[in-house]
Amino acid sequence: MDADRFGMLYDRYSAKVFQKCVGMTRDKDLSHDLTHDIFLKAFVGLAKFDHRSKFGTWLYSITYNYCLDHLRKTQRNRTSDVDEETGATDMAEDRYEIELLSLRADRLSTVLEALDPADRAMLLMKYQDELSIKDMMDVLVLSESAVKMRVLRARERALAKYHQLYREEP
Amino acid sequence: MSENPFKIIRSTDLPPDNLRTDVLGSVKMVMLLMRVVQLFVADPGSALFENVRILGRSASSRSGDRTPPPSDPT
Repeated sequence: MDADRFGMLYDRYSAKVFQKCVGMTRDKDLSHDLTHDIFLKAFVGLAKFDHRSKFGTWLYSITYNYCLDHLRKTQRNRTSDVDEETGATDMAEDRYEIELLSLRADRLSTVLEALDPADRAMLLMKYQDELSIKDMMDVLVLSESAVKMRVLRARERALAKYHQLYREEP
Repeated sequence: MSENPFKIIRSTDLPPDNLRTDVLGSVKMVMLLMRVVQLFVADPGSALFENVRILGRSASSRSGDRTPPPSDPT
C-alpha cells in the first residue's frame, strides 16, 4: 500500500482513534503522539491483517492495546489479575450495570479518571463504544468468560471508587 | 430512562491538522527503510530459485510454442 492510499485510511479513522486515545489517557498532547504511533504501527502491521475481523475492529485493537501499554508503563498501577475462570453472575452484572449507568456524567468522568487504565478501558469499550462480547474477545484476545469477568470486576471497582469519592451521596 | 453517561462524556476532539502530515511523512520514511532493509535480508538462494524457475518456465513455453517445420511436399 502506498502513502496516499494509507492517507485515505487515516482520514477515515483518525478522529475515532484520537478520541479513543483522549478517552483512555485524558491527555490531548499525549493522544497526538499515541495516534501517530498507532497509525504507524497499523501501517507496518497491515500485511498481517487477515480480514477475519473488520479493519475498524483491528485498528481498535491496536489502539486499545497501545494506549494501555503506554499507561501501564507510565503509571505502573496495574491491578492484580482477577480469577477469570470464575463465571460471571448475571444478577450482580445487572445490579452493577444499572447503578453505573445512573451515575451523573461529571462524577462518572472523575471516577473513570481515578480507575486503573485497564478497568477504564473495559468500561469505555462496553458502555461507550458498545462493543459486543465477540468484538471484545477479538480485541483483548480473551475467552468469553474472561471478558465478562473483566467487565464485571471493572464495574465493581468503578462503583467502589464512586462510593469512596462521593461517600455522602446516596 | 436517563441517557447513558458514558455517551455524554465521550470525547469529541478532532486530531490536529498537522498530525496527518506527520503520520504520512513517517509512513513514507518507513516505506523507504523497509525497501533498504529488503536489500539486506533478501534470501539470495530463494531469489535465484525464483529467477531460474521463471526462466525455465519461459524457456519451456518457448519450446512448446515452437511450430513444427513445414513438411517437405516433395
